[in-house]
Amino acid sequence: MGTEALAGKPATQVFIAKQAETISWHWSAFAAIALASTGHLLIKFGLVASAHTAVGLSTLAKIGHYLLEPAVASGLAIYGVGTLFWISAVSRRDISFLYPITALNYVIVSLGGKYFFGETVSPARWAGIAVVVFGVALLQLSSKGERA
Amino acid sequence: MTPTSALWLSIVLGACAQIFLRKGVSGKNAATGGGYLLLLRSGWVWAWAFSFAVATGLWLIALSQIQVSYAFPLLSLGYPVVAVLSMLFLGERVTLPRWVAILVITIGVAIIWKSN
Repeated sequence: MGTEALAGKPATQVFIAKQAETISWHWSAFAAIALASTGHLLIKFGLVASAHTAVGLSTLAKIGHYLLEPAVASGLAIYGVGTLFWISAVSRRDISFLYPITALNYVIVSLGGKYFFGETVSPARWAGIAVVVFGVALLQLSSKGERA
Repeated sequence: MTPTSALWLSIVLGACAQIFLRKGVSGKNAATGGGYLLLLRSGWVWAWAFSFAVATGLWLIALSQIQVSYAFPLLSLGYPVVAVLSMLFLGERVTLPRWVAILVITIGVAIIWKSN
């Protein structure tokens, strides 16, 4: 991004843009996935925390109520920043290669659910997690020697 | 629209969204000039945002009427669908090892959802 495009922009926006352009696609993709997962977990946290006060509200009021919940709002914001990193990664690598990597989302969210919400991870789910991780490793191997 | 057609349309449209995004931002890394705001000039980027939103809406419609245990594993079909579309519309070369990897990931995600 040219400096002129960033002139007068908030410092955080400049920082994010600079990060996204200088880091490798690896980190862009990883940041996109990590931020999306964090966003999901925060949104879940916020929904759970504010569910009891949303009882009896109309659908529209419910949506507004949830959006005003700080954890939900920051979860959405983090998810949005993750999307910027995703765009940065997609601009540099094949989508048939990048998109399947986002399956790691499920792995992170499952682990986050276990550690932060005390959700049980069934043996079948652990098996699925292992298969996904194995598949992503295969995907990396399949692109060995390709132009990054 | 039946819930089932909403479900399938959501999966295909969600896959199309990724193809549109790649079409819109391919080679346009922020480093080569431009930046995120300039991406808004690309019709493909708008197509991505629009399809993503519609796919999400259709998904919610489908979920409200279809069993979660049936609907969620189908989400994993997005990976092979994206691969096929990327070959057809972006000319990406999907090698056999990559197909195997995509298949393994698809099965893994389906197992994760089935396990719920």
